[in-house]
Amino acid sequence: MSSHREAPEIAKDPVADSTDVYAFVSPDRPRTVTLIANYIPLQGPAGGPNFYEFGEDVRYAIHIDTQGHGEANITYQFDFKIELADPKTFLYNTGPITSLTSANWNRKQTYSVTRVDSKGRHALGGGLLSPPCNIGPLSTPDYQAALGKPAIHTLSDGSRVFAGQRAEGFYVDLGSIFDLGNLRPFQNLNVFGGGLSAAPGVNATKFLNVHSIALQVPISRVTAAGRPVIGVWTTASRQRVSLRSSDGGADLRTGPFQQVSRLGNPLVNEVLIPLGKKDFWNTQHPVHDKQFTQYVAHPELAGLLPVLYPGVFPNLAALDKAKTARADLEAILLTGIPKGIVPGFTNFTGPTPADMLRLNTSIPPTTSNPNILGLLGGDAAGFPNGRRVFDDVVSVELRAIAGLTFKLVDASFTPDAAAGELTDGLTPADLGTPYLSRFPYLGVPYDGYHHPAH
Amino acid sequence: MPDLDDHQRATERGAREAAGAGGHAAPRWPAGGRPTQTPPPSRRSVLRVAAGAGAAGIAATTLGGMLAPASAATHPDTSAGTGATAFDEGANDVVLHVRDAAAGEIDVFRGTTQIRLRDRDLAARVVRASR
Repeated sequence: MSSHREAPEIAKDPVADSTDVYAFVSPDRPRTVTLIANYIPLQGPAGGPNFYEFGEDVRYAIHIDTQGHGEANITYQFDFKIELADPKTFLYNTGPITSLTSANWNRKQTYSVTRVDSKGRHALGGGLLSPPCNIGPLSTPDYQAALGKPAIHTLSDGSRVFAGQRAEGFYVDLGSIFDLGNLRPFQNLNVFGGGLSAAPGVNATKFLNVHSIALQVPISRVTAAGRPVIGVWTTASRQRVSLRSSDGGADLRTGPFQQVSRLGNPLVNEVLIPLGKKDFWNTQHPVHDKQFTQYVAHPELAGLLPVLYPGVFPNLAALDKAKTARADLEAILLTGIPKGIVPGFTNFTGPTPADMLRLNTSIPPTTSNPNILGLLGGDAAGFPNGRRVFDDVVSVELRAIAGLTFKLVDASFTPDAAAGELTDGLTPADLGTPYLSRFPYLGVPYDGYHHPAH
Repeated sequence: MPDLDDHQRATERGAREAAGAGGHAAPRWPAGGRPTQTPPPSRRSVLRVAAGAGAAGIAATTLGGMLAPASAATHPDTSAGTGATAFDEGANDVVLHVRDAAAGEIDVFRGTTQIRLRDRDLAARVVRASR
């Protein structure tokens, strides 16, 4: 997955587990950028009686580097609180929840938004209501109109925010990828395939929900003068000390915050960072990513593809055998793409290697027929220029790792024909519900009455 | 431009300086080893202290005279004066982590801050009290 359960420790802590980050110029409000950080992966919509919610004991943040140094110049912090109206019932709701202020909603969640920048800390909003989870037609009727849309709040600086449950918008054939790279469209070619015939991809995240923190901010609020490219990533942090109560009271949490999860580009910690360092990677800041450069420059997966698919990737195999550093992947994931590589495009932030989602905010959104392959598909408004909710980042990164983009830094290299065809066989058509055309763009969460689909 | 992660690094820096480790920028992953991070508090070595209450008075009263000289205190999430956050609620509780009793290294956690003390006598007294 993009970053769902990507490291051993954070897989045990889903409330703090970041799953996806998106950053794009808002297609319907092109003077703004939309930043989305998703948490709490793989939610079964029928997950009662205790439905999913953000952690009160987690500090969620979206960071923005405006200077290209791999450190945050602007951070938006999100702190959540639970409000339990009636502790004497086991019910999440005691009747239909028809509005965010419904007395039937027993366990509400509110949050505050704080912006931290060079001028200090700025409280942008407090007591903001998250919507309830989508339970079913009796409990949460008319979900989007009555609960989802009213949960979009305007902050004191004019930005807009939403924090709550959404339909998972990331699509991936997880079952095939982690079954020894048995990519479903090509499993007949896999060395272990044993005569399997090609079959369509299966979206493993279909009919599941996530929790999204979405922010829509004027571009001028998140860029420095003359520097349209920003680096974006999310983190979740917990206080260093936690003492469990022995008397039924609240647990004690104290001390400074320790980062336990981070996410910039999709799939970096998931696929590139080795198992023994994934947890450590999650504690680090992008500015320190030089220590991980080798895993981007020499990705293990690039060496595996020719082994899993014998004879399909001979040029990639030669590249790997020569131990050639993958300057193309370093550019895409760690520095941004300099001028002159892709005509008319750059999202280069400087030489500091740092895993951030880099968005050139001066590139207008593609509002007509955007290409889900983003820059690889000739659409400069998409990944790896930021990331839109529908971008097929799995196929893009598979193709890049397979060598398709190496020709950009070495014109003498000829990518294998298969590199341009790699995919896990999915598109947004494999989602169970559509994206929204407006903020927060991710679809209405699946309700527990109808899903899992039967 | 000031950096927003100052609080995190200030805490790490404070801890390193208090430990006499100098100003190395980032924790590294030594070849074949584990990251050089502060180990988490162990159940055995953590003593929860409700300030001014009961048996905890040993540490609480002593701390009053010791916090200032340590000069490693940081206030990462409240320093800008924008008011209390949800994470300030436990600010009356103080947790000590005796990292190294022989060296007298004690981490003190309160609210969203952490300081590093060096006091062999205090460390020894806390360890004795915990038995």
